[in-house]
Amino acid sequence: MKSRLSDAVLHLALLGWGLVVTLPLVWAVLSSLKTDAEIFASPWSLPAEPQWDNWVRAWQEASIGRYLLNTVIVVGGALVLVMLLGSLTAYCLARYEFPGNRAIYYALVAGMLFPVFLALVPLFFVVDRLGMLGTYHGLILVYAAYALPFTVFFLHAFFRGLPTSVSEAAFIDGCSHTAAFFKVMLPMARSGMVSVGIFNFLGLWNQYLLPLVLNPDPDRYVLAQGLAALAVSQGYSSDFSGLFAGLIIAILPVLFAYVLFQRQIRSGLTAGAVR
Amino acid sequence: MTPRPSHARINPTRRTLLGGATAAGAAGLLSGCVTAGGSDESDEATGAVTEANPLGVPEGTDLEVVMFNGGYGEAYTQHAAEVYEGLHPEATVDHQGIQRVGETLQPRFVAGEPPDVVDNTGAGRLDIAQLAASDQLHDLTELLDAPSLDDPAVPVRDTLLPGVVEDGTLDGAVRFLNYSSVVWGIWYSTSLFDANGWTYPDTWDDMLALCEEIKQSGIAPWTWQGKYPEYMVDPLQAMAAKSGGIDLVKAVDNLEPDAWRQDAVLAAAEAVHRLVTDGHIMEGSEALSHTEAQNSWNNGEAAFIPCGSWLEGEQQEVSPEGFDMVMAPVPDLTASDAMPFGALQGTSSESFLVPSQAANTRGGLDYLRCLFSTEVARGFAETAKALPVVLGATEGVEMTSGLASVADAVGSAGEHIFGYKYRLWYAPLAKAVDDATGELLTGRLDPEEWGDRIQAAADEVADDDSVTKYQR
Amino acid sequence: MRHGKNRFLVGALAAPLLLYGVFVVSPYAQAFYLAFTDWNGLSGQAEAVGLANFTALWSDRLFLAALRNNGLMLLAVPLLTIVLALFFAALLTMGRSDRHGGIGGIQGSGAYRIVYFFPQLLSVAILAVLFQFIYTPKNGLLNGLLEAIGLGSLGRAWLAEPAWALPAVMAVMIWAAVGFYVVLFAAAMESIPRDVLEAARLDGAGRLTTFRRITLPFVWDTVQVAYVYLGILALDGFALVQIMTVGPGGPDNSTEVIGLTLYRSAFTYGKFGYASAMGVTLFFLTLSLTMLALRATRRERVEVA
Repeated sequence: MKSRLSDAVLHLALLGWGLVVTLPLVWAVLSSLKTDAEIFASPWSLPAEPQWDNWVRAWQEASIGRYLLNTVIVVGGALVLVMLLGSLTAYCLARYEFPGNRAIYYALVAGMLFPVFLALVPLFFVVDRLGMLGTYHGLILVYAAYALPFTVFFLHAFFRGLPTSVSEAAFIDGCSHTAAFFKVMLPMARSGMVSVGIFNFLGLWNQYLLPLVLNPDPDRYVLAQGLAALAVSQGYSSDFSGLFAGLIIAILPVLFAYVLFQRQIRSGLTAGAVR
Repeated sequence: MTPRPSHARINPTRRTLLGGATAAGAAGLLSGCVTAGGSDESDEATGAVTEANPLGVPEGTDLEVVMFNGGYGEAYTQHAAEVYEGLHPEATVDHQGIQRVGETLQPRFVAGEPPDVVDNTGAGRLDIAQLAASDQLHDLTELLDAPSLDDPAVPVRDTLLPGVVEDGTLDGAVRFLNYSSVVWGIWYSTSLFDANGWTYPDTWDDMLALCEEIKQSGIAPWTWQGKYPEYMVDPLQAMAAKSGGIDLVKAVDNLEPDAWRQDAVLAAAEAVHRLVTDGHIMEGSEALSHTEAQNSWNNGEAAFIPCGSWLEGEQQEVSPEGFDMVMAPVPDLTASDAMPFGALQGTSSESFLVPSQAANTRGGLDYLRCLFSTEVARGFAETAKALPVVLGATEGVEMTSGLASVADAVGSAGEHIFGYKYRLWYAPLAKAVDDATGELLTGRLDPEEWGDRIQAAADEVADDDSVTKYQR
Repeated sequence: MRHGKNRFLVGALAAPLLLYGVFVVSPYAQAFYLAFTDWNGLSGQAEAVGLANFTALWSDRLFLAALRNNGLMLLAVPLLTIVLALFFAALLTMGRSDRHGGIGGIQGSGAYRIVYFFPQLLSVAILAVLFQFIYTPKNGLLNGLLEAIGLGSLGRAWLAEPAWALPAVMAVMIWAAVGFYVVLFAAAMESIPRDVLEAARLDGAGRLTTFRRITLPFVWDTVQVAYVYLGILALDGFALVQIMTVGPGGPDNSTEVIGLTLYRSAFTYGKFGYASAMGVTLFFLTLSLTMLALRATRRERVEVA
């Protein structure tokens, strides 16, 4: 009996945090369906009549759909690129002895510690001289470059931990170095790849500063830029319901992806972190 | 939207990519290539100067206009783009309305690839004094001397309100032209005041008395845009200027010792502080953004709000029918103020400029010629509910209550329109004033401490040799 | 069989190193150079000024305020996040004692994890805009909530009071981060061998003792990794502060963070050299923090082994 009672207390605590997490989101959904007058009247009232028009306005006038597509292109491209290059680099550094190995490793890891602010304006120049300002591939390359240090740092330890016997066997079977990597080592590092992939995805999805400077064309805005612009421009036109609707539209695809893949997302993440 | 010429190199060959990368990497490490590329003035593309094309715009060259899309909207700059395309049928105008102009454009200025016309306005705009000092701004004198679009016999210069050219002059050259004439005051709803039998006070003592009366009716007397304390700095410094005269303003702008501890300045701070100590400010105002505060005011939760003349345009979507807002000058601080009641703090805003390194500077100048035409200016008065700086532009325009009150106020102020320059000249001082005023308005600083704190910041700027100083 | 090794290495490393050198190393190197100049961000010239930028930092009120606030965040955000996350993770993994004295996950553990984790997926821009409205005094969610449960007198203008503005910003960071670390810690706790826990139970150890003696030492490594990530998070805070707070950075500089000071110096005041000096300082702060944390982790590993 005693343990049943304390179980109830535990559930209460857990439900409490669940409420803390969900309440703001539910509230935002409700607000996105209210009129501006209702929003200003009371935070708790339900919308008298759902104002779907707010969503239409956010989608059309604030081009949330376009921002979403831009984000998917840029983050997707950068993710593929950084996973390929990062795993190759980490593998080479972890499994091969050669002069400069440690120097390269530390140079890469140091990159994790630099505040991106520091590089902003010089970076603009580099990108501009390559003719990549405001282009998808420009952003993809920059995103990948800035995600590289963490990817290498993370996978380096992973490849170190894999048994050497396996790759030895692969070489005896006549595998080339390239084939040994792609056919043998990479599959073995799968759980690490998934974890770092998720880490990278979150980091890139959240990127705010880099696109702010390197992606000046409103047509190519990524979601974070689009939302910040929305917050300012809806602020100027006092369209709060439209702003909430824009927020919800921006959240929804992430929510769907999460509901569908939550097990993979969380298990991949934990597999890597508790390595 | 067409891509800018400089962005056309979307697919560099492998060779240019690698070459560029090595050059950028190596040169950057050694010489700081960041600073190496900025100063070369691009060769100016010109076309034949004709009567129809007095500024010699090269035909067939596209134009890129980047403007601040804020409270005034972007209808008027788009209108000007249409007029421009009418004059130059072979050219296309790439018109972009953005917010946070500085963050977007600063790197492009550094790279020497700015757009052809910029409206440098709004929160996060570029520091225009720095731009001018860095030789980034094209001299607009030839535009002023060019024939205006409406009447070729009249140069553009003569179509503008007095003071506009002066406002845009830095170190002897005209660097930018402001489009909107802005004055600051205190706003209220005439319908609300008529219904309650209230009249706008002439002196601050009357204001405090009226506030007591308003409070009895269950409405908060004042609200303000607390998240941006600058809004309350304006009535405060306007009262100080009216009471102390133009010499007070000059002392402040010239960073004179103890300028912020002058009696009239402290008296104005004390006056504003009374609103706090007497409980006349709507609860929570200090955390409200401009839109939240203005909406509360529009909903009749507060009687007064300080704001510039753009307020009516900004609120036109949400202002209730029959609200009939008007703007009035700040009340007199004392019975013996140096300036009359109608004196106004005013300036012009929406700063349009042509970057000196723009690809199409001639086109940029000609775009401004279109923008400052009567036709476009009239459209601005209608859509943005604000006064353009073009003479006679509001003639025949049906004016709403707010715009009419602003026009009246400007008319009766006559020569008594004053402005502070320190905000333009010394941005860090402006921040210190805003911060301290925010604290004054929440009662965490008293007027003495407020003055001391700002004076310390002003002295710091005055003692800093790395800051370029200006005098007036 | 090892021939072709060099060719493979060159082929594999060329592209990533080129990418890294061009887009990361060279801009940072240039920024280091700029920290010793008076470049204004717009002109073609930059004079070398030696260490002047760095010495000026120590009398800059804003920078010092930012340093103080980031320091407070560095103390509070990781600590509170980790404590909360450990608490909930412990409840999830060993909360329920079954009839046979065994220890298992609480019912609905999976559902809790799904919900808790979600805020981590929201971008900072979304968080900032959302919480700006939660904290707004008149019709915000927080004051409305307090009123609904009869604590309306506790309501206040959260972002407008110097004492509350920074905690309000930190609360957003913690709100978004806790779930991620709950999932992380819970997974670590689940990998604790059951017989170890059950043996402790049989010895009569209570939940608290079990947690302190067995669970905590077992997940300590993970906690320290979490501390590094959260520390780096706490040294930033730029986007939240810039979008949410009064000023931004106010009231009275109470939410100023280094990123914001740096950003304002560069983009509003045009002191790019000075801003670079701040960036360099921030870099060394981050570096020393990580070094300390990593060193601590390493020693811990040796001791455990």
